[in-house]
Amino acid sequence: MSLAYLRLCTQHRLALGARGYATPTNDPRSRELKDEGPVFQYVGKQRKPNHKVFVWGFSYTGALGIPSFVVPDSGRKKPRKYQLTPYRLETEQQISSAACGYGFTLLSSSTKDLTKVWGMGLNRDSQLGFQRTQQDRHKSYDYVLEPSSVPLPLARPQQTRVVQVACGRAHSLVLTDSEGVFSLGNNAYGQCGRKMVEDEVYSASHIIHKMEGFDNPVTQVVCGQDHSLFLTETGKVYACGWGADGQTGLGHHNMCARPVAVGGDLAGVKVQQVTTYGDCSMAVSQDGQLYGWGNSEYLQLSSVTEATQINSPRLLPFEGVGKVTQVACGGTQVAILNERGEVFVWGYGILGKGPNLSESQTPELVPPTLFGRSEFNPAVTVSRIHCGLNHFAAVTDRGELFVWGKNVRGCLGIGKKEDQYFPWRVTVPGHVVDVACGVDHMVALVKSVI
Amino acid sequence: MTTPSVRVFHKLEGLFSIYKPPGVHWKLVRDTVETNLLKGINAAPPPGPRQRVQFLAEPTSVMAEGSSELTLSAASVPALAHHPLVSGPEFQHIGVGVGHRLDVFSSGVLVLGVGQANKALTDLYRSHVTRDYTLEGELGMATDNFSHTGRLIERTTYDHITRDKLERVLAMMQGSNQKALLTYSKVDMSTQEAYELAVKGELRPDGKSPPIMTGLRLLHFQPPHFTLEVQCLNETQRYLCRILHEVGLELRSTAVCKGVRRTRDGPFTIQHALTHQHWTSPDVIQAIRQYRSSRKAGKAKHTQPGKDTGTASQRQEMAEEAPVNRVYFVFVKLF
Repeated sequence: MSLAYLRLCTQHRLALGARGYATPTNDPRSRELKDEGPVFQYVGKQRKPNHKVFVWGFSYTGALGIPSFVVPDSGRKKPRKYQLTPYRLETEQQISSAACGYGFTLLSSSTKDLTKVWGMGLNRDSQLGFQRTQQDRHKSYDYVLEPSSVPLPLARPQQTRVVQVACGRAHSLVLTDSEGVFSLGNNAYGQCGRKMVEDEVYSASHIIHKMEGFDNPVTQVVCGQDHSLFLTETGKVYACGWGADGQTGLGHHNMCARPVAVGGDLAGVKVQQVTTYGDCSMAVSQDGQLYGWGNSEYLQLSSVTEATQINSPRLLPFEGVGKVTQVACGGTQVAILNERGEVFVWGYGILGKGPNLSESQTPELVPPTLFGRSEFNPAVTVSRIHCGLNHFAAVTDRGELFVWGKNVRGCLGIGKKEDQYFPWRVTVPGHVVDVACGVDHMVALVKSVI
Repeated sequence: MTTPSVRVFHKLEGLFSIYKPPGVHWKLVRDTVETNLLKGINAAPPPGPRQRVQFLAEPTSVMAEGSSELTLSAASVPALAHHPLVSGPEFQHIGVGVGHRLDVFSSGVLVLGVGQANKALTDLYRSHVTRDYTLEGELGMATDNFSHTGRLIERTTYDHITRDKLERVLAMMQGSNQKALLTYSKVDMSTQEAYELAVKGELRPDGKSPPIMTGLRLLHFQPPHFTLEVQCLNETQRYLCRILHEVGLELRSTAVCKGVRRTRDGPFTIQHALTHQHWTSPDVIQAIRQYRSSRKAGKAKHTQPGKDTGTASQRQEMAEEAPVNRVYFVFVKLF
C-alpha cells in the first residue's frame, strides 16, 4: 500500500458506469458507489519485473552476505547459523551472474559502473581480492560478511562488462566481455593460471592475474576444486591447475600453471558447455555429445572405463538420453538435461530417485511428474540444472526451483535439515531465473512475477 | 406388506446429484426435493382396503318373530383405520441427506441421498474426493466479502494485466499448493514409498488439511473479466472467493468473485445433475439408476483386486470426461 497514489480516472468511471456495463448485482446502492470514489493505481502499464537475489545455507562464513546473521546488530538477537529458507539479499545493482565457492560467494552485474563484482564469505586466500580492514590498511579481512566490491584491474573500467563469475575451493575467475579472464585466490596448484611461487602467502594478497594464452576470446569459465576450465568462442577447452585425478584432461597427472588446450576425444570438437565442481569434469558438444574426464571413483565415468581416473577427455556414449543440452557435475554425482527437458542422473550419493537408488553407472531418468508435470500442466520441462558438491538444483521453464540431495548445513533451502531423496520445490517469492550451488549454501537470482 | 408406496420408496433409495441455483439456501433446496419425492411416493395408488370380519347382529325384521336367541352373521367389512383419508399419507417424512454443502452465493452440483443411501453419503462426505469449480472473476474491485455482492472497499486499475502475467501468478499459486499437498500428506519423505507415491502423484493428505487446490487453470481472460477452473480438496466457497481476491493482489490490482459454480463433486458431474424442473421422483429414479450403471461400468474397467481392504470399502479410480481426469474416493459397496 505504500506505493499507492490516488488518481481520479474519469475513463474508468465511464467504463464502470451503469450504462455500458452489466452490473452483476441488483442492489442500486452498490451501483452508485461504483461510480464514485477514487481508483488506485499501484503499478503502471510499462512496469518491468524487479530482479532480486535470495540466499540460504550456512551463514557463519559470511557467504550469505548478511552480517546480522553472524554478528547480530541488536543485543537481543541471536546469531543465525543456518538459514533454512530463502532470504532476500539487498544489492545495489541488478545481479546477472552468481557463483558459490567453498564458503564464499561472488556476485556480478553487467553494469558499466566501476563496481561490477561483489564478494562475500571466506577470504583467507584472497579469493575475494584484497578487502582492506578499517583499522589497518595493510591487512585484509579473512571473513567478509557483506557483499564487498572486488577491485578488478580493468584497463577500461567504464566500458568493460563482466559476463560471468566462477568460484572453486579457494580461487575465483571473473570473465569480462572484452578484457579476458581475471583469476584471484589460491595458486598453490596453478589454478589461477600464473606461475606458482614457492611459499607464497595468499592472504592479504593484491594479485589479480589477467590470464593469457588463449587463442580466442573466452566465453565460459568454470572452477573445479583446485583446477579451472575455460571454453573459448571456437569451442576449444583450456585447463590449468591440479591434475592428480586427471581433471585437467591434459594427458598427465601433474599440475599446470598456465592454460593449455585440452585434447583427447575433444580435439576438433566444438564444445558448447563445460562443467566441474569437484574433481570430475564434463563437457557437452554442440551436437549433443557428452565428454568426461577426471575422477571416476564414484562411477561418474564407469560407462567407459574401469579405472578410477581418466586424464584425457573420453566420449561417453549413452543411448536413450537423446541430445544432451546441459551437464552439471558435483563431487560424486552427474546430471544431464536433454533437449526435451528431461533430467538424467548418475554417480554416487542421493541421486533423486528415492533412498534405494544410491549409486548408478548409467543415466537414470528422474520422472517429470516430480517437477510439476501433471494433467493440468502437461508441458512443464526443466530448463537449467546445476550441481553443488552433494546436491542438485533444477529450474523449470515455469520459474520453479527444485532441489534434492544431501542437505549439508541447510543448503537445500527447504526449511528443514534432513536430506531430500527426490526433487522438492523451494518456495521462492518470484520466478527463478538462475541458481548457483555451493557446498553448504546457495544463491538464487529471481525475477518478480509482475 | 409392501405397499406400492414402499416399492417406490425403495426405488428412490440411492445417491443422485441436483443443480443448486445461486441465491438459494441449500436447505430450501433439500426441503423442496424432499417434498417432491414425498408427493411422488404418496401418489402411488393406495393398497386396497383390508377386509376384516365383523359379526353383525341379525336385522330386526327377523328378530320380530319372537325368537330369544341372538343370531349373528359374519360379514367382511373394510377396515378403515389405515385408509389414507383417516391416517394420512403413508410417508410423511423421508430422510434426504446432503453431501458437500454449497453456500447461498454458489451454484452447481449438490449430491443428495435418500434413505439407506445416507450411509454411503457420509462415507463420500468424509472421504477425500476432489471437487471442480468454475470461478468467474472481475478485476478492478475489492469488496469486504470477496464477492461482487459485498461492500466496495477499493477500486484499482488493471490495464497492466496481461494473460501472460495472470498465468504466471496462477503457476506460482499452483506450485505452492502442490507443495502443500506433499507437506500435509504426513508421509515420511525419506522412504522409498514416499518417492513412489510422489512419482505417481498419489501423495495426498489423508486426514485434516487446510484447503488445497490440486489444479488451477485459466479458462477465459478478457479484462476485466476472467474465468478460472479449480480442482480442490477440503475447500469452502468463501475460500475460493478469497483465492480470486489474492490473485488480484498478486497482480498488484484487486479482483472480486462474480460466481462460483461447482462442476463436479467426486464422481458426480454437472452433465447428470438434475435441474429445477426435474426434481421429481421419476427423474430421480432414473438418475439413480444411471449413476449405478455408470459406476458398475467404471468398476468393470478398473478392478484392482490387490487393494481390497478388510472393510467394505474399495479405493477406485474413474476416468472422467470433465476437464480433470482423475478422482480418488472411498466408496461403500452397497451403493
